[in-house]
This record gives sequence, structure tokens and C-alpha cells, in this order.
Amino acid sequence: MSEKTTHLKVKNLEKMYPNGVKALKGLSVDVYKGEFLAVIGLSGSGKSTFLRCVNRLNDPTGGEIIFEDQDIASLSGSGVRKIRGDIAMIFQKFNLVGRHTVLSNVLMGSLSRTGFFRSVMGFYKEEDKEKAVEYLKLVGLAEKTHVRADELSGGQQQRVAIARALMQQPKILLADEPVASLDPALCHTVMDYLKEINKSLGITVLCNLHHLDLVKEYSDRAIALKDGEKVFEGSPAEINDEWFKQIYGEEARRVQ
Amino acid sequence: MQINFKRSLINTVLFAYTLAAVYFLTGYFMGTLPSKEHFLDIDKIKVGSLLFLVMGFVLDCGSNWSSLKTIGDQLFSKKIEFVKTASNVFWKLHIYLVLILTIIASIIVVEFSFMDLFDEYGFQGAVRLFKGIFSPNFEILPRALHAIVETIYIAFLATFIAVPIAFFFSFVGAKNVMTHPVAFAVYMTLRTFLNIVRSVEPLIWAIIFSVWVGIGPFAGMLALMLHSVASLTKQYSEIVECIDDGPVEGVKATGAGILQTIAFGIVPQIVLPYISFTIYRWDINVRMATVIGLVGGGGIGTMLIQYQGQAMWREVGCIVVVIAVVVWVLDTGSAYIREAIK
Ligand SMILES: Nc1ncnc2c1ncn2[C@@H]1O[C@H](COP(=O)(O)OP(=O)(O)OP(=O)(O)O)[C@@H](O)[C@H]1O
Ligand SMILES: [Mg+2]
Repeated sequence: MSEKTTHLKVKNLEKMYPNGVKALKGLSVDVYKGEFLAVIGLSGSGKSTFLRCVNRLNDPTGGEIIFEDQDIASLSGSGVRKIRGDIAMIFQKFNLVGRHTVLSNVLMGSLSRTGFFRSVMGFYKEEDKEKAVEYLKLVGLAEKTHVRADELSGGQQQRVAIARALMQQPKILLADEPVASLDPALCHTVMDYLKEINKSLGITVLCNLHHLDLVKEYSDRAIALKDGEKVFEGSPAEINDEWFKQIYGEEARRVQ
Repeated sequence: MQINFKRSLINTVLFAYTLAAVYFLTGYFMGTLPSKEHFLDIDKIKVGSLLFLVMGFVLDCGSNWSSLKTIGDQLFSKKIEFVKTASNVFWKLHIYLVLILTIIASIIVVEFSFMDLFDEYGFQGAVRLFKGIFSPNFEILPRALHAIVETIYIAFLATFIAVPIAFFFSFVGAKNVMTHPVAFAVYMTLRTFLNIVRSVEPLIWAIIFSVWVGIGPFAGMLALMLHSVASLTKQYSEIVECIDDGPVEGVKATGAGILQTIAFGIVPQIVLPYISFTIYRWDINVRMATVIGLVGGGGIGTMLIQYQGQAMWREVGCIVVVIAVVVWVLDTGSAYIREAIK
């Protein structure tokens, strides 16, 4: 990246849950266009809350998230739905609709641009159907098109979720610990696909990760959260033992 | 000893009940009870109840003061340590006493009488009835079939109309959907309203509707439908409350609208249990439609009550056979289907 343009500008983002827990305490960060940004931090540090505020699965209680000249934090109703169309998300638990086929799950990525009756009757646009098949090929699941989603392995399900996200034609992809419930052996396939999407399609990726190895291998930049505040921002290579202690606490030990 | 409202309340009521039961039973067996009219006077009822409650309260205070372990103590103040003495088992003795008094009182109230059960004349009546029922008159079979078809259709229509209404209500009645404060108020209102509807027996609804729209199948259908809406909504909402949030969020995150989120995130998770409950409800409705017919809801029940009124036991027998067969078939069939789609 020679020239950095800000894709998402997060300013003083705050989130207090109804039970009084302050999960984010004024987080500010610039996310650059086309970068792969890793978000790290201890469990409970607010990583998920941060990503979920960006696509408004959680409603922030303060601050701004500027994206394409509008403040995501202050959108409501149809504005929120429109922004979710541009910002896709994949989850730790895949969150597919198990009883539907793989193809149907991928097509759900086009719900925001398909009317209610068309989508319920399954009358998706031809170009969308073609795209769905194409994305399934991209994640290497062409032969599973008509299989029920809950009959796939975890790794395969996450790849379907990636295809569903691509189907949205998103500008940003949020990934909340996408490989945390996968076999370590499978986790590289999924991460490879994310990287591929990021580099070849130019989609900005924000990814919560637990393993520093993965952060170093896949991300361009990293931020670290601790108790809802940013304690580190920089290149993954900069995270030495000292930073590690600062992010994860004195007692934490590095697993090699 | 600390003051505990729940404990005092239950003790007072139980002591009052025990005293009242002892008073009435002694009076009954000694023959010293005043006449029945005496107890129909509302003022005397008021004064009497109050008297017993006051005495119950006095006993409660007494037991509290003497640290007797009462039922209320056992239930609501477990933390209090009691010395290991005879007073420790007082609450058990009290439970036995209440139970025995209640059994005796209920036998008296239901006029339990072996004399009647083995009374010559009455017994012969029963024999006549059974003879009739066990030699059914199948001449009326065509009419009985006609009536049972009516009953089945009453039940079907009631279920059919209730399903979409209950389907809609089930989302409004589900806590996990109605999270917004305004939505929560709507949720509470609907729940309360449906609880009231459900607690009124369909039989009573049938009586109400047969006055409203006239005796007949339509009244029966309305009664069943109302009851079905209330019951199905409760069962459906419980299913909605147990769904997995993951797929719902997955769909929501694609930018889907609220109806799409329901259709893709929630519906696939609830379809099978909904179908299962619906079939079961239809099955229940057929049985209830028979009972409702007895108060003029149409169908086989109405026919049954007519023959019963004329003591035409052989015809009643035919109707009973028809009902038994149909109920058995539906019961087995619906159980089979529900098992198959699990
Ligand atoms: N729905 C909620 N209601 C109340 N508090 C919540 C809720 N979700 C999260 N929290 C709290 O907010 C804080 C941040 O949670 P968050 O899930 O964002 O952390 P995380 O960094 O994603 O952790 P993990 O690595 O375990 O996923 C935690 O203290 C958590 O207990
Ligand atoms: Mg998390």
C-alpha cells in the first residue's frame, strides 16, 4: 500500500451494555482501505463489541464511526440495513441457517437487495444465482451446493459463511474470531481464503484473532484492546515480549 | 425471631383452616351444626372466616413465640436453627392433621355413599345403560357419521384459523423478539390477555358464543378457535424463545429486513415443532369439539346429548363407538406424524 486512504474512521467509540458493563471506553482508530487489520486482546477486552458496533449488531452508546461520509453510529432503521449490506460479517460459530442448503445460505448474502416476496419464494435474480455458484467455487465447495448446511464440517461451514459474505459485495469484511472453533489444521484454509479476498478483491478486513502467530502471518496491521481501550497500534512484527506483557498481562505466557 | 411475612401468612391460613375443619367436622358428627341456611348468610360467612383467621394468626404468633417449628418455618425460614426436640416434628404432624381432616371433609362433601353405589334400583339403571351401550343401535350410524364429520371439520376450521393468528402472535409473545421497551409492554399485554383467554375453559366459551351467534357448529368453532389461539401462541412462543440466536444474527448481518430475518433466521428453526404442535392441537380440538357439542356446539356432542336426554342408550352406544374409533385413529395418526417429523 503506497497511499493510505481511511476507509473507516472510529472516533471515541463507547459502548455500555444495559447491565452497566463498559465494554468500549472511547476507542479511536483509523482503518485503511484494503488493509487486513487484526484486532487482538484478552477475552473480554471488547473485540467482539467493537466489530458488532461497526455493523450495528450492537448499538454504540457514544462516539462516531465514519464510513463514506456518514456516521454509522447514528444511523437507524433502513440506514442500518443498508450499511450492513456494505459491511459483511463472519462469526466464530459460522451462524449459517442449518436447515437450508449451502446455496440458499450463500444467496442470503443478497437479501438486502432482494425484495421480501422474491427472497421468500426463492426468486433470486439470475445474476445473483450465478454469482452464488461462482463464490462457492471460489471457496472450494462447488460440489456441496445442494447439501444441507448443517451437514458440513466446521471448516466447510465457515467457507460457506465467507461465500455468503462475498455475495453481499461488501466493501468491508468483519471477522469475529473466524477460526476459533476450528481444528488448528483447518484454520489456515479459512485464513487463506480471507487473505485471498482481501488481496484479490480489495475488501478491507477487520479480524479478531486470538493467536499471535495468525496475526503475524496474515495481517498488515494490528490493534490491541485492553478493558475497552486501545493499548497498541502498529505492525504485527512490533509485538515483542514487552508489548505482549502489556497486552495480555504479566502472567500470560507466549505459546510457541 | 425475625418477622417473615410469607411464613406468617401460610401459618395463619393453615391454622385457620385446621380450626375451621375441626369445628365443622365435630359439629357434623355430633349433630350440633346449625342449619344449612345459617351458612348461606354472607354476613355470617364473613364474620366466621374472620374469626378463624384471627384465631389462626394468634396461633401463629404463639408458635413463633414458643419456637415451635411450623410448616411456614419449614418452607420459608430454613436458616433458623431449631433445637432438636419434639417441637421439631410439629410441622409434620400438622401436615398429617390437615391431610386427614381434608380427606374426611371431602368424603362428606361429595356425599360419598356406598349405599348409593350398591343401591338396587340405581344399579339396575346402570345395568340397563350398559346393556344399551354394549348393544349399539347401528341404524343411526349414517347420522352419527354425518355428525362426527361435522365435529372433525369444526375442529379443523378452528385450528386452521387459529394457526396464522397464533403464528403472528407467537413473535409478539416471545421475550427474545420483543426486547425494545415499547415492544415489551405489548408483549406483557398480549401475554396477560391470552392467559386470561386460556384459563377460561372452551366449554365456557362455547356457552358464551352459543348465546352470541346461536347454538350450533359455528359457536363451537369460535370457542375452539379462541382457545386454540391462546394455547398455540403460548406453545409457539416458547419455541421461538428457545431458538439459537446465531443464524438470526447471521441473517441480520447481511442487511436483511426484519421480515426477511424472521423468514430466514427464525422460521427454519421453528417449522417442525410448529407443525408438530399444530397437529396435536387439531387432535385435541376434535376431542374438545365433542365435549363442546354437549352444550350446543354442534356435531356429535350435540347428537349425544339429545339421545342421552331421552335415555336411548343403544343409540348412545352407537355414538360412543363412532367417537372412540375416530379419536383413536386421530390419536394414533397424529402421534405417528409427530414422531416421523421429529
Ligand atoms: N450482551 C452483553 N451484555 C452485557 N455485557 C456484555 C455483553 N456482551 C459482552 N459483554 C461484556 O462486555 C465486555 C467485552 O465483551 P466482548 O465480547 O466484546 O469481549 P471479547 O474481547 O470479544 O472477548 P472474547 O475474546 O471472549 O470473545 C465483557 O466484559 C463482557 O462481559
Ligand atoms: Mg468475542
